[in-house]
Amino acid sequence: MRFWEIGKRNLKELYRDPVGLGFLLGMPLAFILIFSFAFGGQATNPVSIGVVDEDQSQISAAFVSCLESIPAIEIATPIFESQFDAEKELDTGGLSIYLVIPQGFNKAVEHHQAIDLALVYNQADPMLPQRVMPIVREAALGFLNIPIPLNIELSQREAEIKDEYINYLIPGMAVFGLMILITSVSGIMVRDRTRGFLSRLMTTPARPSDFIFGYTLPFIPVIIISTAIYLGVGILMGLSIIGNLGLAFLVLFITGICCMGIGMIVGTLARSEDQASGAPWIFIIPLVMISGAWWPVEQMPSVIKGIAEAFPFLHAMDACRHVITRGAGFATILPDLYWLIGWTVSLFVIGIVLFRRSMAS
Amino acid sequence: MAEHGNISSTSDSHLAIQTFALTRKFDSLIAVNGIDLGIKQGELFSLLGPNGAGKTTSINMLCCLLKPTEGTAQIMGYDIIKEPFKVKETIGVSPQETAISERLNSWENLALIGEIHGMNSDEVKRRSGELLEVMGLMERGKDRVGKFSGGMKRRLSIAMALVHDPSILFLDEPTLGLDPQARKAIWAYFAQLKGKKTILLTTHYLEEADALSDRIAIVDEGKIVALGTAEELKNSICDKQTIVISAANLTTEVVEELRNLYPWVEWRNEELEISAKELNFKEITDYLYSQGVTIYSAALKQPTLDDVFIQITGKEIRE
Repeated sequence: MRFWEIGKRNLKELYRDPVGLGFLLGMPLAFILIFSFAFGGQATNPVSIGVVDEDQSQISAAFVSCLESIPAIEIATPIFESQFDAEKELDTGGLSIYLVIPQGFNKAVEHHQAIDLALVYNQADPMLPQRVMPIVREAALGFLNIPIPLNIELSQREAEIKDEYINYLIPGMAVFGLMILITSVSGIMVRDRTRGFLSRLMTTPARPSDFIFGYTLPFIPVIIISTAIYLGVGILMGLSIIGNLGLAFLVLFITGICCMGIGMIVGTLARSEDQASGAPWIFIIPLVMISGAWWPVEQMPSVIKGIAEAFPFLHAMDACRHVITRGAGFATILPDLYWLIGWTVSLFVIGIVLFRRSMAS
Repeated sequence: MAEHGNISSTSDSHLAIQTFALTRKFDSLIAVNGIDLGIKQGELFSLLGPNGAGKTTSINMLCCLLKPTEGTAQIMGYDIIKEPFKVKETIGVSPQETAISERLNSWENLALIGEIHGMNSDEVKRRSGELLEVMGLMERGKDRVGKFSGGMKRRLSIAMALVHDPSILFLDEPTLGLDPQARKAIWAYFAQLKGKKTILLTTHYLEEADALSDRIAIVDEGKIVALGTAEELKNSICDKQTIVISAANLTTEVVEELRNLYPWVEWRNEELEISAKELNFKEITDYLYSQGVTIYSAALKQPTLDDVFIQITGKEIRE
């Protein structure tokens, strides 16, 4: 259990450096908050609802006016005459939900018959009908002011959505945050080497595997905590997760392990603490940019896109986004996962080989 | 020159450390050049030499941190190339850099090394307590060591080499940067360990090597240029004896008479220095008394290791 002793020591070194740890966890958090406030923050705004008035009567128009007077919702203009137009808006992301006032609405009101309304929503936003339904029901009951049965039929629609920016941003920022881990892993290794501490440990009977586990295991809780923070803060800032949260977590966790592998390589190759803390940024920032952390790669030249695709981070972000915003399952993201896991395993093998070689010399 | 180390190519079971043409080259630089050395069990052995002489490189090879480019060595019979982990189980090392974990406290630093060596936590605690007491660190034992002074860090580093009670100790400049008081305390502790542990230390401090060592090897440019006890080394350069006499009422005639008797006589500021291959202390003082000279003090001048070093290498140790 020598690796455990080395690991325990490294865990203490890590957690007793509040500035370093604060940087590791705090920087991506600051980014998330700034970007979310700047580009997201839809949660407190009124919900925008489309209305399809198939009835085209005075009564239905009065009902729409009644809806328009409710502050918690905002009726999108124009009012659609047919569902076809509303569906198009939903599919292109102009709308997330619309209400259908069916033909015969005025007659049903006049004759005190049961009234059937319909709410159609984008399946990417499952929380929306729960917010909208009680508002519409309350408004309809108030408008009718008579005890007649009111049915609101809910239906979801799989739409080619244009994501809210926050849904796009959080997976990108989470991957970026985990990439900062590279400098932490390499930092502690290089610090120990340049100050002779690693040499001292190497005069003990600790084996190379003890060092490898001892220098990587303490970062596992960091990966778990930071992933939880990024997703948690994301949800607070309005990130809507329709897929399996656990699967998104897994993708980010593997990304963290992958970054640890890079950190090991940098930590073994870097000659000074400055190199270990500075050099990784030369590839972290460009890679984050071209991997689509902040804007979609589709808009980039194909050469750049090709370079980004060769690295694991674009795949990590894509897999995470598909799970979070499209509800993609394990099978859908498997090609991205293969790429990510392939990189992770290769980096670890290279890291271990380099570390062993540096020990032997 | 004094006796040389064991230079046979077969291993000797009485020897704790034995090197066989141990060599380390860095590109064109030969840092250690074919050193043959045998250090007995329980011996306190010093490597003395200027910076860059190859002392640390030699120790690093013996601790399995650096592979020799030629030759090899055995530590308690284990080959440093073939059985490095066996070697590492038997040694304790205090490197030249203090090499401690700055955000841990003293207890935690000691526990780390002890537990890597397979000690249980009770043993580690007991042993750490003893060592912190000896090193004068008990009071600050729970403070993070990053806040320690250089001397305190150095003392903790020595304790870390000792915590697992190794039979062989490598101490690379163990008292570098310590104040004289702390240095004396550490020397006293090393003196207690003499005979119980085999200690190989490198040092700049001639008085340290002189006071502590059973034997000393003077290293220069990767080679052992002299080896023996401090006395043997001093005697090896001692082709003449010198007497220094502080006196009054000394006349020119008396000095001239002495110059006829001895090949080298110097007289200035009431101090008389007489050198010859062999000197009779009593004969000289009796003669001076008989001439009415008042003698305040008279002493034989001993050569120092510094003299030995300068004579052998042609340079000062602290160069």
